[in-house]
Amino acid sequence: MPELRELTYAEALREGLRQLMAEDERVFLIGEDIGVYGGAFGVTAGLLDQFGAERVIDTPISEAGIAGACIGAALTGMRPVGEIQFMDFVTLSMEQLVLQAAKVRFMFGGKASVPMVLRMPGGSGTGAAAQHSESLENWFVHVPGLKVVMPSTPYDAKGLIRAAVADNNPVIFVEHKLLYKTKGHVPEAPYSVPLSQTQIVREGTHLTVVATSIMVSRALQAAEQLADEGIQLEVIDPRTLKPLDDAPIIESVKKTGRALVVHEAVEMGGFGGEVVARIAASEAFDYLEAPIRRLAGLDIPIPYNRELEYHTVPQVESIVREARKLVKGEY
Amino acid sequence: MMQLSQDLIQRYHDVIESLGPEALKEMLQAMHLIRAFEERAEQLYMLGKVHGTMHLSIGQEATAIGAANAMQDGDYLLNHHRGHGHCMAWGSDPNRMMAEFMGRETGYCRGRGGSMHIADVDSNNLGANGIVAGGIPIAVGVGLSIKMRRTNQVCLVIFGDGAANEGAFHEALNMASIWALPIVFLCENNQYAMSMPVEKAFNIENISQRAAAYGLPGITVDGNDPLAVYSAVSEAAARARRGEGASLVEAKTYRYKGHSKSDKQAYRSREEVRDWQDNRDPILRFANLLVLAGVITEAEAATMRDQAIATIDEAVEFSENSPEPSVADILDGVYA
Amino acid sequence: MPVPIIMPKFGFTLESCEIVQWLVREGDRVRSGDPICEVTTDKVNMEVEATEDGIVQALRYKAGDVVPVTEVICYLLREGETPTLEASALTPPSATPLARRLAEHSHLDLGMVQGSGRNGKIMRRDVEQALGKVRATPAARRLAAEHSIDLTTVQGTGRAGRVQGTDVQAALSEQAARPAGDAEATLLLAKPPTIRDTQTMPPPSIPHEADRHVVRLEGMRRTIAQRLQKSFQSAPHIFLDAAVDMSAVELLRGKLKAHGEKLSMTAMLIKACAWALGKNPPLNATLEGEEISYWHTANIGMAVALKDGLIVPVIHSAEKLTLYAVQQEVDRLAGLAREGKLTLDQVSGGTFTISNMGMFGVDRFTAIINPPQVAILAVGRTVQQFMPDAEGKPTLKPMLNLTLSADHRVVDGAHAAHFMRDLREVLEEPSLLAW
Repeated sequence: MPELRELTYAEALREGLRQLMAEDERVFLIGEDIGVYGGAFGVTAGLLDQFGAERVIDTPISEAGIAGACIGAALTGMRPVGEIQFMDFVTLSMEQLVLQAAKVRFMFGGKASVPMVLRMPGGSGTGAAAQHSESLENWFVHVPGLKVVMPSTPYDAKGLIRAAVADNNPVIFVEHKLLYKTKGHVPEAPYSVPLSQTQIVREGTHLTVVATSIMVSRALQAAEQLADEGIQLEVIDPRTLKPLDDAPIIESVKKTGRALVVHEAVEMGGFGGEVVARIAASEAFDYLEAPIRRLAGLDIPIPYNRELEYHTVPQVESIVREARKLVKGEY
Repeated sequence: MMQLSQDLIQRYHDVIESLGPEALKEMLQAMHLIRAFEERAEQLYMLGKVHGTMHLSIGQEATAIGAANAMQDGDYLLNHHRGHGHCMAWGSDPNRMMAEFMGRETGYCRGRGGSMHIADVDSNNLGANGIVAGGIPIAVGVGLSIKMRRTNQVCLVIFGDGAANEGAFHEALNMASIWALPIVFLCENNQYAMSMPVEKAFNIENISQRAAAYGLPGITVDGNDPLAVYSAVSEAAARARRGEGASLVEAKTYRYKGHSKSDKQAYRSREEVRDWQDNRDPILRFANLLVLAGVITEAEAATMRDQAIATIDEAVEFSENSPEPSVADILDGVYA
Repeated sequence: MPVPIIMPKFGFTLESCEIVQWLVREGDRVRSGDPICEVTTDKVNMEVEATEDGIVQALRYKAGDVVPVTEVICYLLREGETPTLEASALTPPSATPLARRLAEHSHLDLGMVQGSGRNGKIMRRDVEQALGKVRATPAARRLAAEHSIDLTTVQGTGRAGRVQGTDVQAALSEQAARPAGDAEATLLLAKPPTIRDTQTMPPPSIPHEADRHVVRLEGMRRTIAQRLQKSFQSAPHIFLDAAVDMSAVELLRGKLKAHGEKLSMTAMLIKACAWALGKNPPLNATLEGEEISYWHTANIGMAVALKDGLIVPVIHSAEKLTLYAVQQEVDRLAGLAREGKLTLDQVSGGTFTISNMGMFGVDRFTAIINPPQVAILAVGRTVQQFMPDAEGKPTLKPMLNLTLSADHRVVDGAHAAHFMRDLREVLEEPSLLAW
C-alpha cells in the first residue's frame, strides 16, 4: 500500500493557491510581504517566482487598501485572494469588508458579485500578545453577505481554499498560526471541500463536541483520553461558520443528548452562542440530557506570559474536564 | 457676465471645437435633466412619497456632466452618496433612476439600494456609496483589474472634500501611484463636509495639492464650469490610458441645498448661497456660453428646462405605476 | 423541631381521608410505629403511625373531619423540645429563602414538606418534589410524554435526582417486562411503611432488622400497586368455577402428536376462549371512565412466567386464527418474551386475559382483573378424577379447573355463566371449532 502523502497546513494552502493560479489567470494574490518574504507565515513562499509580481502583489501597509483592491478587482472580473498578515489587522479593513464587500450585491439588487477571498491567520499560542492573537471570526459571522471559513486540517485547508476562490461571494478565510506546521494527508490532485458542509470528524454516543479551527484537534485528543474512561465524544467541525450547515449538529445532539461547543474566540458574543441557540431552538431540544455548554476564550485580551496565555483559551485538559462533567451529570 | 463668457469662449475654443455643437447641447440638456430630477426628488420627498433621506446635487451639475463626458464607453464609475447627477450624466435611464429613488422593483437596484446606492452595473457604473471614501479603495482594485486584464479602460472615482480626510483616501492614492493604475480621482469639493467647511477641515488651499505627496499629478478646476472639468478629466483619463497612472482632479463647486433633508444649514448664510446661485450657477453660465458661442439660440435655451421637466414627469409616472418589491423576495441578492 | 404527621396519600386517586378516631391525646408519649389515629377511605380503615418517638402535640382535626391528603394532622415533639399549646405557635420549619418563597407562592404548607438539606432544612428541591414538580431533562420529558409515563414515578439518576432520558427508558423496559394488572404482581407488593390496613392485614410481627431488606414502594412497582389496588377496590369481582372434561382435547392432542404436531394447553384455551367470547360479547369488553367498549376481535393475553416476574403477550384477533396459527403465535411470543424482546405493541391491546398456573401444580385460583378489561380466566392444573360416565359408573377423566373473574359492573352473572357453559362445551367437543 502506498504511503499517504503528507503536507503541512501551510504547504497545503500554498499548493491549493498554486494550482488555482496555474489554472485560472483571474486568480491573483495581494497582501503585505507575500512576495519575496513569502508571507509572514510562509504560506505564499515561492509563488512570486512562479507567477511574477503582477499576480503576487506586495502592498504597502494598507489593510483598507488591500480589502478595497480585492473588492474592486472582484467586481470587474478578477478572483483576488488577499492576505491580512494577522487577523488582528483586519480591524483596519472592516469598513471595506462589512459595508462594501458584504453589501454591494444586495444594494445593487443582486446585479453585482464580489468573488474575493481574504485569508488571515487568527489565534493565540505564539506569545504574540494581545494585538497579534485575536480570533475575530464571529465579527464576520454577524455580517450578511460574507462567508466565513475556518479549516482545521491540511486536507481541508487545500480543499476549502479552492471552494472559496470558486465561490462568487466574499469569503473570510480564517487560518490558525499554530496549525500552519501541522501535518496531514493531502492529495496532490486539485480537489474542493464544499463550503457550508459540516463534517463529523469522530463518531461517538455520549456528547457532541462542536469545535472550530485548532480546537478540532484538541477535541479529538480529548476524545481519545475520554474513550479510555468509556466516554465517547462525537466531534464535529463546521468548517464553514457562515452560512452554517447545522443539520449534522442537530442530528448529532439528537443522538447524544448533550452538546459542548469549543472555540478559541472569546465566549461572550462568540460563535458558540449561535450554535447553542440553534441546538436549543431545534428538535434536538427534546433529546437533551444536560444543559448545552460552551468552552471558549476568557473575556480578556490575550496575555503575553506563556502560562497566562495557555490558560486563556481552551486546552485538551479543559475540554476533557468539561466533557466529563457534562456526560457524568456533574455540571 | 458677458465679458467673462467671451473669455471662456477664447479659453475653451479648442474644447468647443472638438466636442462639437450636438455634444455641447446634450451636455446642457443633461444638466437641466439632473436639476429637474433633483428638484422633483425634493418635491416628492416633501409630499411624503419617498421613504428615507436623500442628498441633492443641485448646483453641482457641471462637475458631473464635465467628468462623465470626458470618459469613454467601457470605463468604470464609482461615485458617492450625492450621486444622482453622476448616474444621470453617465447615461442612466431617468425612469429606472426615479423608480429606484421611489423604492420600486423596476429601479436599478430593485428598490434595495435607494437614493444612496444607485448602480448600473451593465454600464460599468459600480455604484454610489453611502460611506465617505468607501469607493476610493475599490477604485484601486478596479484599476488593478484593468491593468491585469490589459484592457484600455479607465476608472473614474468621484468623492467629496470630506473623503479626502479619510485614511482610505491616502492608502488608495498611494497604491494607485506605486502601481501606476488607470484611475482618475475626482474630488468634488462642494465646500462643506456636512457642516464642516473646507477652510476648517484643511490647512491647504487646494485639495489637489495632496497629489504631490503620492507622486501623482494634481489639478484644481472650477467645478461649476463643465468644460473646465471636462478638460481636466479628459487629460487625466488620457494619461491613465497611456499607462502613465492616476491623477487627482479637484473640482470646486457648491451645493445649494442642505447636506440632507434634515439640515438646517446653520453653518452658512443665505447670502452665501444666493451669491453662488445668482453669480456662479453652472447651468446659467453654460447656457450663456453656448448662446454666445452660437451653439444654441436663446429660444432653444428657454425650452430646455421644460423638456427636462417633461422627461422627469414621465419618470415619475413610470415609477408610480411600477410595483413595489415583494416581501417574498426579501432574501434575494444577499449571496451569489 | 417538631415533626409533622401528615394525612398519608395511599391511593393513586385518593384526595382526602376521614379521621375515624384519634388513638392518642395531646401530650401522649409515642414510639415510632405506634398508631396515632384511625382513618377511613370509602373502602378500608387505616392507621396513621408515628414516624418517630415523641410527644403528641397540636391535634389539628377532630374525629369525623375529612382531611386532604398530605395535610399536617398533628406534630410530635422530640425529647427536650418545649410543648406548645397552639399548632400555630410551633416553630416554623427551617427552609431556605428560595424554598420558602416557592412554597408561599404555591400555597404549600412547609410543615408537610420533608427537608433533605442539612439538619432537615427544606430546600427548593423538597418543595418542588412536594408540589409534584419533577426535575427532568428535555429528553426525559419527551420520552415520558411519548409513552404516557408519569415522571413522578421514575427514579432520577442525574444530578440532584434529575430524571434522565435513560431513566425513562429503564422504566419503559421494566414496564414492558412486567405489565401492570396481573394478579400475581400483587404478591410482590411492598407494604407502605407508615400505613396499616386494619381490616385485611394481620398485625405485623416486628422482625429483626437484619432479617429483611427494605425496598421503597416506588417507580413501576408503585404504579402496579396503585393500578391493582384500584382494580380490586373499584371493580366488584365475581368468581365462577367450572371443572371441564378434557378427554376430547387430550385425544386431539394425542392424534396431533402422532402426526408430529404439538398442541399446547395454552393455545387450546386461547382458541376456545376466543370462540366462547364470540358468543358472549359482554365479556370481551373494556371499561374506561363512563364508557364500555365491546370489542369485535378477541385479543387474548396469556401470562408467561419469566425468571424474575411474568409478562402477558397478546394474541391479537385469536378468533380469526386457526388452532395451528394460534399455536405458532403462542410459541413465537413466548420465545420473544423469554428473550426479553417483546415490543410494547405485543403486550398491549388485550381484551381478555388467561392466567395459567396449572404447570406450577396449582389446582385452582382466582385472578384480579387486568383493567380496563372486565374478565380474566384463571387456569389450574388438569387432574385425573373419577367421574360418572353416561351409565353412572366411575370413570377416570382428565378434569381441568377453570375460574373466571368478571367485573360485575359490566358483566352480569348470567353473562359469565353463559360464557363458562360455552367454554366448557367447546373444550369437551373441540370439533366445534371447525365450524
